[in-house]
Parts: sequence; C-alpha cells; structure tokens
Amino acid sequence: MSDDKVVQNIETEKQLLNELKEKFGDKILDSSYVKRHRRVFVDVKNNAYRDVITYMRDNWDAIHITTITGMDTGESFILMYHIFAKKHKVVFTVRFTIPRDNPVVKTITDILPGANLYEREVYDMFGIKFEGHPNLKRLLLPEDWPEGVYPLRKDFKREMGGMKNE
Amino acid sequence: MSNDIPEDEILIPLGPQHPALKEPINFMIRAEGEIVVDAQPRIGYVHRGIERLAMERTYLKTAYLVERVCGICSAAHQGTYCMTVEELLDMEIPPRGEYIRTLVWELERLHSHSLWLGVAGHEIGFDTLFMYTWRDRELVMDILEMLSGNRVNYGMNKIGGVRYDVTDEMKNKILKAMDLLEKRFKDYKKKLSEEPTVLGRLVNVGILKKSTAIKLSAVGPTLRASGVKADIRKDDPYGIYDEIPFEVISYDSCDLAARVFVRIDEFFESIKMIRWILNNLPDGPVYKRAPIRIPQGEAICRNEAPRGELMYYIKSDGKSNHPERVKIRTPTLANILSIGEMLKGSYLADVPIIVAGIDPCISCMDRVMVVHEDTGKAEIWTDEKFRDYSRKWYKKNLKWVVEERWKK
Amino acid sequence: MSVKSKLISWARIRSPWILHFNTGGCNGCDIELLAAVTPRFDVERLGVTVKGSPRHSDILVVTGPVTRQTRKRLIRIYNQMPEPKFVVAVGTCACSGGIFGDGTKSCPVGVHLGSYCTMGGIDNVIPVDVYIPGCPPKPEAIVDGILKLIEKIKKGEVKKDE
Repeated sequence: MSDDKVVQNIETEKQLLNELKEKFGDKILDSSYVKRHRRVFVDVKNNAYRDVITYMRDNWDAIHITTITGMDTGESFILMYHIFAKKHKVVFTVRFTIPRDNPVVKTITDILPGANLYEREVYDMFGIKFEGHPNLKRLLLPEDWPEGVYPLRKDFKREMGGMKNE
Repeated sequence: MSNDIPEDEILIPLGPQHPALKEPINFMIRAEGEIVVDAQPRIGYVHRGIERLAMERTYLKTAYLVERVCGICSAAHQGTYCMTVEELLDMEIPPRGEYIRTLVWELERLHSHSLWLGVAGHEIGFDTLFMYTWRDRELVMDILEMLSGNRVNYGMNKIGGVRYDVTDEMKNKILKAMDLLEKRFKDYKKKLSEEPTVLGRLVNVGILKKSTAIKLSAVGPTLRASGVKADIRKDDPYGIYDEIPFEVISYDSCDLAARVFVRIDEFFESIKMIRWILNNLPDGPVYKRAPIRIPQGEAICRNEAPRGELMYYIKSDGKSNHPERVKIRTPTLANILSIGEMLKGSYLADVPIIVAGIDPCISCMDRVMVVHEDTGKAEIWTDEKFRDYSRKWYKKNLKWVVEERWKK
Repeated sequence: MSVKSKLISWARIRSPWILHFNTGGCNGCDIELLAAVTPRFDVERLGVTVKGSPRHSDILVVTGPVTRQTRKRLIRIYNQMPEPKFVVAVGTCACSGGIFGDGTKSCPVGVHLGSYCTMGGIDNVIPVDVYIPGCPPKPEAIVDGILKLIEKIKKGEVKKDE
C-alpha cells in the first residue's frame, strides 16, 4: 500500500514551477506553490495568464482544460484555470485576481477552445466578462433570471433572484 | 417532412433569423432537408444552484447534498467530495476503507454502463437489448443495496472512510454475480458485433475526430472512443488505482460503435477490478474519525466517473464549519461542445442516438427545436417524436445508408 | 358516483397511460421509475403504459423539485391533459423540495435556505393526488403508489369529472 504522504516525489513539479519562474520572471508571484504530487498552483499577474497558458500548451502538451473556477473574496474576484499538462501528468492551476469594479478579462478560447462553456459559466455566476468570447451568453441560469444578479457573488441574497410562485 | 403536425407540437413560421422562443428547450437544431447543419445544446434545465447551497451548508451536510448532483454517478460525487476534504485534512483513510470505496465506484460503473447500453438500445429501436441489460443491471442494484441499504444514492462514503463493511458472505455473493454478468455481457457483445441492423446504426455515425476531441477537452468514453488513451485512473491516480491491474480501453474508429464497445469493454475491466479488490481486501477498520475543524487550504480531486472526468475544488478558510468555495465540474458539461461537432452533417434520424452516445446526465432530448433552413419553419420535437421519426426513417432508408457508411 | 362516472373510471383504470416529466431532478427517481417498467417489476402487466404526449395521458408522474426553469412547462403540461387527470409526485424532491428546499420561502434562523433556483415540491404548482416519498423510492414503492392511485380512482375518491 503506497504511502503517499511520506514518499511523494515532487521534484518534477518543483522543476516545472522553476521553469515558469525563469521564463516569466516576476510575473509569477511568490505565492505559487507545489501542493502535492501532480498539483501545482501558479499565481500570476493578471496580464500574464494568456502567455503562461500558451507556454504550457506549446511546451507541456497542456491542452486539456478541466474547468475555470471563479471565486469572490469580498474584495476582489479570483479566476483559476485548471489545466492538465499531459507531458508531465501535472494539473496546473493558473490563478490571478481581478478588480471587483471592473471584472473584464480576455478570453482564452483562442488558445484552449475547450474553455468555451466554462467561461460562460463564470460569466453567468459572477458577471465576469470575457472579451473576445465567440458566444458569451447565459449558460445555466433561467431565461427570466434578472440581469445583473450573480448568484455566486458574496453579496447575493435570495430575494435578488426575484422568484415568485404565481 | 410530413405536412400534418400532431397536436402536441407547435408550428411557427419564421424567417431565416434565429428565433428566440420563450419555450424552455434543451436543444436547437438547424436542418436542411434531412441533414443537420448546426446544433446548439441549451443546458441549465436542471440547474439547482448546488454550488451556492454547498457554500452555505456544513461540510457534513454537503456530503449528502453532492450525492444528489446526479443519481446515476452519486458515489463518484460523494467519494470525490470526501477525498477532497480528506486531502484538506491531510489525512489518509484506512486501507480497507479505500478498497471498499473503490469497489463501490467500480460497481457504479457497471450499473451506469449497463443502464446506458439499455438506453442506447431503446434509442435505436432495439428494445430487447433494453430489457435484457436492465434485467441484468438489477444484479448490480441488488449488490449495492446489500452493501449500503439503498439502490441509488447509497451514502457509502463519509469524511474519513466508508460507512459499511463488506462481510465474507457479501463477498461471495458479489463474486457469483460477477461471473453471471460477465457471461451475459460477453453474449451481448458478440450479438452486437454481429447484428448488421444494429451496426448499420452505429458504424461511421457521429464521428468525432481525435484532434477535435482533444482540442475540445472531451472526457471519458467519448474521448477514448476517438483513439485517446486518457483515463484519470491511470494519468492522475487516486485511491488504490495505482495498485489495481487494469487496462485503459480505447478504440480508434471515432464513431458511435466505438463508444458502445469502449463501454462494454470497460464493463469487463470493472468486473476484473472488482474481483481483484475482493480477493485482496485488507483487514482493519473502514473508517477513521476525522477532525471537525477543517484547516485552511485548498484541494483539487479528479475522479474517472462512468461518464468521464469529474472534478472537485474545495477551499477552506480554516475558520467556519462550511466550505468557502466548492466547485464541481461534471463530465457531461465537458462533452457538450463535442456533441455539436458530432451532429454537424449527420442525419436528423441519428440525432437521438448521437446525443445519447456521450451518456448525458441531463434530460437532454426532452424538447428540441428543429429549424428547417430551407422552409424557414421551426418545430418543437419531443424525444418521442424523434424516436418515432428515426424508426420510420430507418425503415425506409436503412439499406442505402448502411452501404454509404460501409464505403467510408 | 354516477353510473357514467363509474364506467369512465373503470375504463380509465383498465389501462392508465402515464406521462413522465422530470422537473429538474437528479435522475435517481427517473431510473427507478424506468426500472419499474422492466421485466423484474413490470408495471405493464397491470396495463400501465408510459406514453409521451400530455393529450393522451391519464396520470402525470413527476420527479424532481420544481425548478424555476421548468415551472411554467409543468403547468402547461398539466393544463394540456384531458380530464380526468391525476398527478403522482415521485421522490422526496417532488413531494417537498427534498434536499434542495424551497427557495421562495424564508427560513427561521439556523435552518438552511432552499436553493435560489428551486421552488419546493410540485404541490406548490399543481394539485397532487399521490405522494411517493423516498430518495429515490424503490421501484416496488412506485408500483405500490400507482396501485394506490388506481384504488382511489376505483373507489371514486377522486372526484374529477363531476
């Protein structure tokens, strides 16, 4: 029975993170870390994510995007792109922060076409706009859901959804 | 297209623009004659706001909530959730618990694939297959009920291990059932690969090229039927999958027939895995008490559910007893882009079976809007109408369609 | 109950046609409902057939909590069914909203809120004749519930066509 905790070899993951740091310099923030075998969290400046993702796709066969997670910390929004680098079998989470008062980012559907529906989901739930997305429409919420109300934001309250039984 | 519209349909004469109906439809298809030009699935029909609920409920209550994201792969959801929380807690569950958790995952794969095989049979008018596979599926449901007390939403997992143990008597019953299932499904596989009317509906239908499948981040049997040997259990092992000997099944033909045979072969692999698990089951407890307070941190766990890659991301702020963020990405969502590609250029009569081919976990085909580009008319087709249309169309056209497909 | 009603009831219960509608459930109840049709449980021997059109159905079987998206359609389907019609709520979600709760109601402090997208059980929207709780109910329970409905119709307890 393998004992993951003690004998995990995270050398490859550390090397890959260092490679990113060498290539992109201070665009890779110090808070980036190797969580465990096959899990690396890469915190980047919010103007660098497209280059980092392109680099991973071109060099590490990282074309499979699992999903995009949005998060509301109360002060700002965080976007996390979970991408699987096939060459080294590591899941990279590229993460950056965007301001609450201007939640607009560029799409990555030109780099990773699989991100299409995930960007729509984040738009639906958080109201973050993805510039350049071919079809940025509502994905999950009902058609009569009021505009401007985003259920996963911290300040969402049930009444804002305007659900009445009539 | 027939001119008489049955009474439960709506005929709307429209121009060439995209209609924006208030009807809750699940699918929008643009057709020219009998060929699909474009297909857009519209999901959100079943959106229940689970991520929000998970954030508001305690970790313990969320374990019950996530099981009901999908009734067919409920153990995958609950098991992955518990795995993720255990990673946040930095704890290892006892080996026997790991084995039983994996046992339930593989049993779930058996029940899901046999369910799918029946549904696929039903879609192409092969109702005997539906009856046979669902009868055999009852063997698996009996086992699940014996292990956990429920046929669906078994509640086997908890944070720290599993809830019930496997006795020797149960073990023998399961092994016996595995032998019977293996024999029966070998028979179905043989019949399917020899029955020309069935193959005519499956071979060279719903093509998804390998490069497209990879580009669109497809997952699960859909991906493996396009020649990609990708399986989370081998690429990103979790639980005890790095110990169990098994093969990743993939077929190269990129069509519906490949999707059928990938699932059938995975069925046999799962049977082998279940036998290995039961014959190597270690002794010991099945559960280790987990601390109530979850420390600060984040964790990502992926699971090869019967439909494909399932992902959970959980972030804990270390202070409260409910998660700060739970993100769930179900496998069906990852395959939606691929359906659009598969449907382009296919016959209308093939739409139900192609959509069923990705094993969607939503009532996808309930209401489909078909827009006929050449006449400008839009109709709402129910799944019953689609199935009817398919059967009638194939009765008329089976011969030349199959010839055309065998030529390719 | 008049002779005419008795005749109509009897004719109806001889071979009730069932329409199944999922208002946004997890599919757990749906597959147990379908399993009730397969050889082992076999409702077809009772003369029960699962049909696709509201205009030809006697019994509407609903699974799943009422989501906001499906509410209008549920009402429309119910209205399209000819009298006498009967409704069966299958599963805890259809009975009361289940684990998703009722997002239209405010809750006392300490009780969890329902989802922002679900509206509780289907009896908030259409009248229900038989409730079959369970998460999901076993096929035997579903068959039992449908039999109970047929009993109710026989005894004339469901006064729909007077």
